Parts: sequence; structure tokens; C-alpha cells
Amino acid sequence: MRALPAPIAASLIGALPIALIVGLWQAIAMSGIAPPSLLPAPGTVFTRLVQQLGSAAYLDHVATTLIRLFAGFAIAALTGVTLGVAMTGSRWAGAVIAPLVRVLAPVPKIALYPAFILTLGFEDASKIALVVADAVFPILLATSQGTAAVEPKLAWSAQAAGASRLRCLLTIVLPAALPSVLTGCRIALVISCIVVFLAEMITSTDGLGHLLVRAARSFQSVDMFVPLITISLLGLLLNAAFNALRRRLLAGFPEAD
Amino acid sequence: MIRPGPTLAPLAACAALLVAWEIGARLAGIDGLPPASHALAQIPAILGDPESLLHIGASLRRMVVGFALGVAAAVPIGLTMGRSRHVAAFFNPLLMVIYPVPKAALMPVIMLWLGVGDASKTLVIFLGVTLPVIYHSYQGSRAVEQKMLWSAAAMGMTAPARLVRIVLPAALPEILAGCRVGLVLALITMVTSEMIARQTGLGNILFNSLDMAQYDTVYAMIVIIGALGFVLDAAFEWLRGRLVAWAEPSHPIMVGTT
Amino acid sequence: MIAIASVTKTFDSGKGRRHLALADISLDIAAGEFVSILGPSGCGKSTLLYIVGGFIPPSTGAVLVKGERVNGPSPDRGPVFQEFALFPWKTVLGNVMYGLERRGVGRQQAQARARELIAMVHLAGYENFYPKELSGGMKQRVAIARTLAYGPSILLMDEPFGSLDAHTRTRLQNDLLDIWERDRKTVLFVTHSVEEAVFLSDRVVMMTRAPGRLKEVIAIDLPRPRSRATLLLDRRFQDYVVGIERLMDEPAQEQHR
Repeated sequence: MRALPAPIAASLIGALPIALIVGLWQAIAMSGIAPPSLLPAPGTVFTRLVQQLGSAAYLDHVATTLIRLFAGFAIAALTGVTLGVAMTGSRWAGAVIAPLVRVLAPVPKIALYPAFILTLGFEDASKIALVVADAVFPILLATSQGTAAVEPKLAWSAQAAGASRLRCLLTIVLPAALPSVLTGCRIALVISCIVVFLAEMITSTDGLGHLLVRAARSFQSVDMFVPLITISLLGLLLNAAFNALRRRLLAGFPEAD
Repeated sequence: MIRPGPTLAPLAACAALLVAWEIGARLAGIDGLPPASHALAQIPAILGDPESLLHIGASLRRMVVGFALGVAAAVPIGLTMGRSRHVAAFFNPLLMVIYPVPKAALMPVIMLWLGVGDASKTLVIFLGVTLPVIYHSYQGSRAVEQKMLWSAAAMGMTAPARLVRIVLPAALPEILAGCRVGLVLALITMVTSEMIARQTGLGNILFNSLDMAQYDTVYAMIVIIGALGFVLDAAFEWLRGRLVAWAEPSHPIMVGTT
Repeated sequence: MIAIASVTKTFDSGKGRRHLALADISLDIAAGEFVSILGPSGCGKSTLLYIVGGFIPPSTGAVLVKGERVNGPSPDRGPVFQEFALFPWKTVLGNVMYGLERRGVGRQQAQARARELIAMVHLAGYENFYPKELSGGMKQRVAIARTLAYGPSILLMDEPFGSLDAHTRTRLQNDLLDIWERDRKTVLFVTHSVEEAVFLSDRVVMMTRAPGRLKEVIAIDLPRPRSRATLLLDRRFQDYVVGIERLMDEPAQEQHR
């Protein structure tokens, strides 16, 4: 282990429990406690997964899910950051938005899904709307808290140098709050993955969530696990990719997190 | 910044939302968006109907059981993780893998194993609750000052006793923060699992009325669920404030989902 | 140059409590004067500085600079803070160029001027470093260069050397005097070090503890340019320091102009 560079060693150690889980899974499947119709062996599932990843039809579904996910996340990020910055920059905006957020934050947004269906239809729009509803809150909160916590002397230094209040807010305070904002975005990204999948399960038309429900209806247990594992892997991948992006964006910042 | 301000502002916000809904619905004039007044009028009908109450009661029961079991399992694990590097190293990657998995999405899989009854829904809620509670208990436990524990050890306390009598109270603010998130997730997971696997419960009433085009009832249920979420969260925050009045105020929680 | 007229400042410290930070401060500062504001912690000296800078408004009274009332930050009053307040995502060059860009100076010119200033504060070669890679003393040099870049006629320095070790502190004091001798800007310098105040200033303004009032104003009649080595052995310097320290221990006297 000592010969390997630190990040690789860390990932190997991290992979250990996952390997253990898969091992446990394999052991249970082999022992016959659970019949293969209930718990297919990991080998079967992964073979099927690889097979599906080569199939155009499956990839179509994956693409559909991803498009909804990214669309929802992008809208949520734009809205969340804008509102968060507005809350810090304008006391009036803060006074209006803060109580609204306080009321809406603990409401399970999934309960709004039927309303979205009724107003936006069964297809993409309602699913994207649900993603936005769930993802916007972590981003909004992170941005508003992060910008409010920026050391006022940074803003003062910029204003003394000649920056207007608005310019200062957007080009100094917001970048200074970037660590916080990006953390909120990362949380929102994972939430987006989860929510889009669930929406696709509830109104099953297409996408990965739909595939799980379709397999469940025809009792195809292997085909149930495949989309589930796919979305989880996607979530992990996006999380890792986002972390890498975050490190690059925060090059100059001292390591606070 | 969001502060726990006077109750006037949230009430005003609620009122503003309802008014905006009413006006927007009347202007839009589509069947799919009944005005707020129509929806609210349905609420007494729902709450007065014994069958609905049975459904709602069943939902709440599952949620409470799932939450209680989740907390009971998660707190010891989190506390131990905080004090033992090995336990932490073991569980951490596992939790990171489980984090992006939509717990409610496990419903069909779990239903395969446990059938369509209460057990599968409660299990899913249990899974949803454990993650944030473990995480927060872990963080809270980690932050407990080593010197406090050394003093306790010097006084003759054994390791398990230290865990219960020093680490637990000291980590309590953070644990309760995790429980708050867990409670919100319990509600969300409960509703979602009932939407996916409909037999009984709030989610079931919701989608039944959707299927039967009883739009007023749909929106009335949304309001009921929303109010439930808000009330539960507010009640828990009040309880938390009483229990850990001695702690410094924590940051408002970034509410997650599923 | 600067006329502080009957300035008071009260802060709301939440729960309905109000804290009187400054009580009726009146002071005139001539152009080109180096004035130190000396006092114990919490006496409001930084608050006074921020009011002169226009970063916070006075509760009553006003500050006039060149006859015009201060009502906001301006490039004519450049701050230097104890915490440096550098923009962490910008390099040294980026930080120093900031004020120049805000004044509309072209990129090429701004870079050239910034490099000049960086060399003047003895940081040539560090242009592409990020603040987090610099020591405290170096960060403060960057902060000074950044402020000088937009050419203020007044420098407002808030315990700028307070978080530095003694050796770095004396070096920066000497460097500051060197820079100041070039164009003799008006300087308001907040400190709680008696030695520092006497060494640097033409006048030392002493404040009482909160609520801050003017206790005593002492003119420092020592020749310039000042050398630390010489002054430390100079009887007059020692008299000033001892005398002021004695005054600091006494309870508040009546106000002096």
C-alpha cells in the first residue's frame, strides 16, 4: 500500500466494504437461502448490466433519465443561486424569500408531484419540475448562508477599490462563497438523481425508473436490479466528477472543508 | 440568511402562497389546477371520513415505527464510528455507496422479499432514516473533546459507560440535527413508497383521487401532507430546542430528500 | 483633509440591547498627516476608522473629507485590514490589478503598474502566487500594494501588523514609512501598540474604553525620516512612549481637540 500514491490507496481501502457487500451477496445467493427469483447472484446481475449497456434501447432510457436530471439540476442551480444571492444582497428580498423557504422546505416535494402531473402532463416537464422543486432548496440555502458568511472586509476592499454594490455582490461575494455553493450543488446533484428515478417509477413512461417498474410487473428480478444499480453508479460517478470539478474551481481557496 | 424568526413571517408566507394559488388557478382556468378554496374545502371531508383516517393512521404508524427503529439502530453505530477509527473506516465507504441509492426505489425489490404489507414500507422508511442519523451521530461523536473522555476515564468510567454518559449527551445536539433530517426523510420516504406501491396510506389516497379525476381531493391531500411536514418539523425543532438549550445554535439544515 | 464632526455610533446587539461604541468624537486631520489612533481593545477605534472609510454609517454626526460628506466607500479612502482580506481565488497580480481595472485602466497598463507596485513592496517574483501560499507578512504587503494601486489620497489602516510576528512587524513598519515618504498620503493608523504609534506618527490620538471618547491627542515632535535603530536609543522617543503608556493606565480625562 505504501508504494501506491495516496488517492489510489484510499480508493482501494474504500472499495473493501463494497467488495465485502458483493461477496456477502454472492454468498447468500449461492447458499440457497433466497431463491434466484428473489435474489439473483451478483454475477448474473452484472452480466445483464454489461449486456444492457451495449443495447441501444437501454441506453435510450439512460439518456432520457440523464437529460431530465441535468435539465432539472441546471434550472435548480440557476434559480437557487440567483435567489440565494438576492437574499444576501437585498434585505427586502431576504425578508420575502426567507419565510417562503421556511414554509416550503419541510414539505415533501414528492407530494407536489400529482399537481405537476395535472398541470404539466405525464411526460418530461412534470418530472423536471419535481427535480427542480427538490434540488433548489439545498442550493438556495447553501448560497444564501455562504454569501452571508463572507467576511465583510472582502466586500469593503472591493467597494473601496471602486466596485459598485451589485458588482461586488456578483464578482466578489459570490466567488468568495463558492465553496459553500458548490457543496450545496453537490447535494442537489445527488438529490436530482434520486428524484428523477422515483418520478419515473411513479409515472412509468420511460427512463430507468420505468424499467425497474416494468421488470417488477413481469417478475423479472434481474432486470429490476439492473436499473437500480445503474442509477446508483450514475450517482456515484456524478458525485466523483463533481468533486473533481470542485477541486479545480477552488484552486486558490485555503482548505477549509 | 434564514433565522428562526417570529411566527408572523411564515404565517404571512403561507397566506401569500394560498392567495397566489387562488388567483393563479382562477386565471389559468384549467381543470388540473383547482383554486385553493375548492381544495381546502375538501379537507374537512377527508379528515371526517373514517376510511381516510384509517389510511392516514396507518401511514403515520409506519412512519413512526420506521423512524424509531432507524434512530435506535443508527445512533449507537454513529457514536461508535466517531470514537473508533476502524469502525468508521469500515462503515464510511459503505454509507457513501448507499447514499445515492433511492431508498424508496428499493420498494419493488423489498416487496419481492417481504410482500405488500406494512413490513416492506416500514423497512424502506427505516433505511431512509438511518443514513442521516448515522452521519450526524458520527460527526457529533467525533467532535467530542478527547480531554473530556480522558477525565472520565481517569475517574474510572469504562469505555461503554463513557460512550453512553459522556459522548451521547455531548453529541446530542448533532444527533438531534440528524434526527430532524431523518424525520423529514421518513415522511418523504413514507409518501413516496406509498405512491410506488399503493395499497393503503396517504400516497394511496393521493393517487387514487388522481386516477378518479377528483382534482379537488388531490390538492387537498397535498395540502394535508405539506401541513404534516411543516408541523412535524416545527414540533421537532421545538423539542430539540428544549432538549439542548445549552448548545450553540446550529446552521439551518439543508433539507435533503429520499 | 478629514473632519470628524461629533460622530457617535450605537450598535444593536440583538435582544433589544444597544451598545454605545463611540461617543461624540470630533477630530480634524490635515493633509499629509500620519495619525495613529491608540486605545485598549473594544474602545471603538476600528469602528471610527470604518466610519471614516464609509463602510458603516455614523449614528449621529458626520465625516467630511475635503469638505464633502462621506456616505459610502470610495477609491479616495483606501483600507488595509488586519485580516488582509485578499481575494483568495485571484493571484497576487490579480489582487493588485483589481483597483486599476475598476478605474478603467487597460489590461496591459494595469499589469505593468501592478508589477511596479509589487516590486515596491518587495514581492517581485510572487506575481502568480495565490494568497494561501504566502506568509502573513507577504499577504499584508499584497494588501498594501492592492490599496495603493487605485491611488487613494487617504490610507485607512486597521491594525495592519497586528497578526504578524514582531520581526516581520518592524520590517513592515519601516517599509510603510519608506512608501509613505514618497508621496506623503494622509494616514489614519489604528493600533494598540504604543511604540508603533509613536514610531510612525505625527500625532497620536488616544481613546478611552467603550464608549470610546477622545482622551488625549499628543503631537510627536521627532524628525523624519525616522530610523528604528536611532529612535530606540533616543531619549525623546522613550519619553513619549513612557508618557503615553502612563496616560493609558489613567482613567479618562476631559476631551481634548
